[in-house]
Amino acid sequence: MKKKWRELPIAVGMLAPSAVILGLFVVYPLVRAIQLGHLRCDATGKRCRDGGWGQYIDVFRSNEFQHALANTARLALMTVPIGLALGVGLAVLADKQIRGIGFFRTVFSSTVATSVAVASLIWFVLLQPEIGVLPNLFHGIIPSLKQPGLLRDPATALPAVALSSIWASLGFTFIVITAALQGIPRELYESAYVDGAGGWMRFSNVTLPMLGPTILFTSVVLTTRAFQSYAEVALLTGGGPDPQRPTQTLPYLIYGQNSLVKNDIGLKSAAAVLLFFVLLVLAFVQFRGLDKRVHYGS
Amino acid sequence: MKRLAVLAAAALVVAAACGSGKSIISAGRQPPVATQPAPVTLPPGETLPVGQTLPPAETTIAPTTTAALLDTLPQCPTDALASATGPVQLTFWHGMSGPLNDALQQLTDTYNAGQSKVKVTLIQGTYEQTIDKYLQSGQSSRPDLVQMPEYMVQSMVDSKSVVPVEACMKSSGFDSSAFLPTGLAAYATQGVQWSMPFNISNPVLYYNKRMFKVAGLDPEKPPVSLDDLRADSQAIVTSGAAKYGLALDSGFDSGGGWYIEQWFAKAGEFYADNQNGRSARATQVLYNNPTGQSLLTFMQSMLTDGLAVNVGDNATTGFDNLLKLGDANEPAAMTIATSASTGTVINVLGSGQFPQITNADVGVAAMPGPGGKPGALVGGGSLWVVDSGDAARTAAAWDFITYLTGAQQQSQWASVTGYVPVRTDALTLDPLKTKLATDPRYKVPYDQLLASPDVPTSVGPILGPLREVRTVTAQAVAAIFGGADVATSLAAAVQQANALIADYNARNG
Repeated sequence: MKKKWRELPIAVGMLAPSAVILGLFVVYPLVRAIQLGHLRCDATGKRCRDGGWGQYIDVFRSNEFQHALANTARLALMTVPIGLALGVGLAVLADKQIRGIGFFRTVFSSTVATSVAVASLIWFVLLQPEIGVLPNLFHGIIPSLKQPGLLRDPATALPAVALSSIWASLGFTFIVITAALQGIPRELYESAYVDGAGGWMRFSNVTLPMLGPTILFTSVVLTTRAFQSYAEVALLTGGGPDPQRPTQTLPYLIYGQNSLVKNDIGLKSAAAVLLFFVLLVLAFVQFRGLDKRVHYGS
Repeated sequence: MKRLAVLAAAALVVAAACGSGKSIISAGRQPPVATQPAPVTLPPGETLPVGQTLPPAETTIAPTTTAALLDTLPQCPTDALASATGPVQLTFWHGMSGPLNDALQQLTDTYNAGQSKVKVTLIQGTYEQTIDKYLQSGQSSRPDLVQMPEYMVQSMVDSKSVVPVEACMKSSGFDSSAFLPTGLAAYATQGVQWSMPFNISNPVLYYNKRMFKVAGLDPEKPPVSLDDLRADSQAIVTSGAAKYGLALDSGFDSGGGWYIEQWFAKAGEFYADNQNGRSARATQVLYNNPTGQSLLTFMQSMLTDGLAVNVGDNATTGFDNLLKLGDANEPAAMTIATSASTGTVINVLGSGQFPQITNADVGVAAMPGPGGKPGALVGGGSLWVVDSGDAARTAAAWDFITYLTGAQQQSQWASVTGYVPVRTDALTLDPLKTKLATDPRYKVPYDQLLASPDVPTSVGPILGPLREVRTVTAQAVAAIFGGADVATSLAAAVQQANALIADYNARNG
């Protein structure tokens, strides 16, 4: 016991840097946001009136928050399953020992080095109706590329944003899954092969179960990423097209330049804290829902 | 996976069932704002003489005259600079980017090099970033000088963080007689000159002269009225000179918001009550009236008749409508956009990379409007002296403002950027003098501004949440462009806009 107390100063000293950084950049802003979230302030955020904790409920139930939550969920439902399927598919394809595979691995993982902003700009240049590459090449075959344009049609705007998002995160998914694939013991495949299992059998009975923990991890990361989609929305659609605003995600509602609450510190703090809790619940659901099916090995 | 989907679906159903059907704006407000004492208002459409104000509402401090209001505001001891020891360090936050930023940097460098009393440091951002940063900063972290767009006037007044430039003008005996009266009036309210116009712009018509010729129209006679606009578009479409006559957008800072204010001014009508919020705080917008309805019905029919094309909410680039003039396959012959980009438009569209338009083909004309009446509201930005509590810094900020708005500097600034100079004598000086003589296209926004009649409706609306009001207005315009009923859409937007104003006034009154 005595010895433990003597080590306390050292422990505190060792913990201090990370505690200070976490406290300053995570805990303090979070506490402050929670506190601001029940205030209604003037333009400068200085003179405030307490809206009560009910303000959180009001914000959650408001048309704008519900609409943005539904949009964000739709985006996640598009990007997470498709992103995972493509990531696993490409990783399995590239996991072959054949000549030139290194080239494909580099190509498949290249988007990890591409920031969301750059990826969004690439897609913007491809899809922009007036001067974009695809509309001017294919407007004869698919007129809607030109007028109104994929990003300006309320039906296709969100899928187009999802496309850019999936493309941008594919490199990350690919690398993580590839690393996990290389961790699967070869004996498992060999014994399955000896038992007469074909390619599909080996994939569904060996590869997929062994990838379980990685897929769970990736799905949580991708979901979180979908719920934090801001840059692609800001660069591709600005939350539009008006008036339906199908791409107005929660982060865009909180911070986007077309948001009604962007200069209202109380309301946007409330929305941000609610987003935090939505993500917390989602991660919990994913871990509980998938964890039991995941094989972590012995 | 199935279980996850079920859980997610269940969560969505629960979330959806939670919907209150109310706007986020009403969150945290019990009881609703409507129970406040009604402020003093003018009946819609009525006016007071320019410069007069309504008697203040009973809730305000005391019945004050305008002179007394100025006395209650922070002072501007402009002689404090002379007694300052050592150079005064000034920070200036601005929203100019690209070539505009370069031009401002050049002016500032010249100022810093030309004297030793003041050293100005520029901090660049977008307007929106500057606004966010400014509003969220405490007094100690604010700059000494800030540039704000025209829609921020009421918010800046309400922030109670500035020294009105009128105090500086009085204290230094500043001669403002060369300034455009409309430019000054745009930044005055409650009888006080709050900020100094620096970069003035207004919407103009950009058109392709070559397509006008092909369509058998006179390229030197662009449309003036809305009827002209329709007739010319018809000629262009019928002749096959272009697929569309006009490119329309529903952006908040353009076709969906700002132009509506401009068109109301052209029509000689107020956009908001209490003389556009200039005689007292505005309480409602007025655009769901016959003028607004006929204006949007006109735009809608242009679209449904195939004479115009809708380029959407213009949210990402801000110049999708201008790009439509450079569209290789389905171009439009005309569009309306801010004069602030005149230089860029002429350079980009005239760069030779668009086969259907050359530099000489780019036409610039006054914005067409109801009945062809001339005039425009002041857009762009102004310079605000921030109340730092330090006399030397306040005086130095004023010194820099007098430099930036000086005749020679405005001549240089306007000739590089395409902004309207804030004073008439800048036009008699080079480089602007030569520039306007060689390329009269740059004079269009200036002439248009000077053509505004001297009436109260020629001074634009100031609303606390003008930025947000434009956003909800733009939603209605987008819906109307998409085929929705004009009166219903405008009524819904007015209701939302008035709720925003009431909420803002309740928080900032």
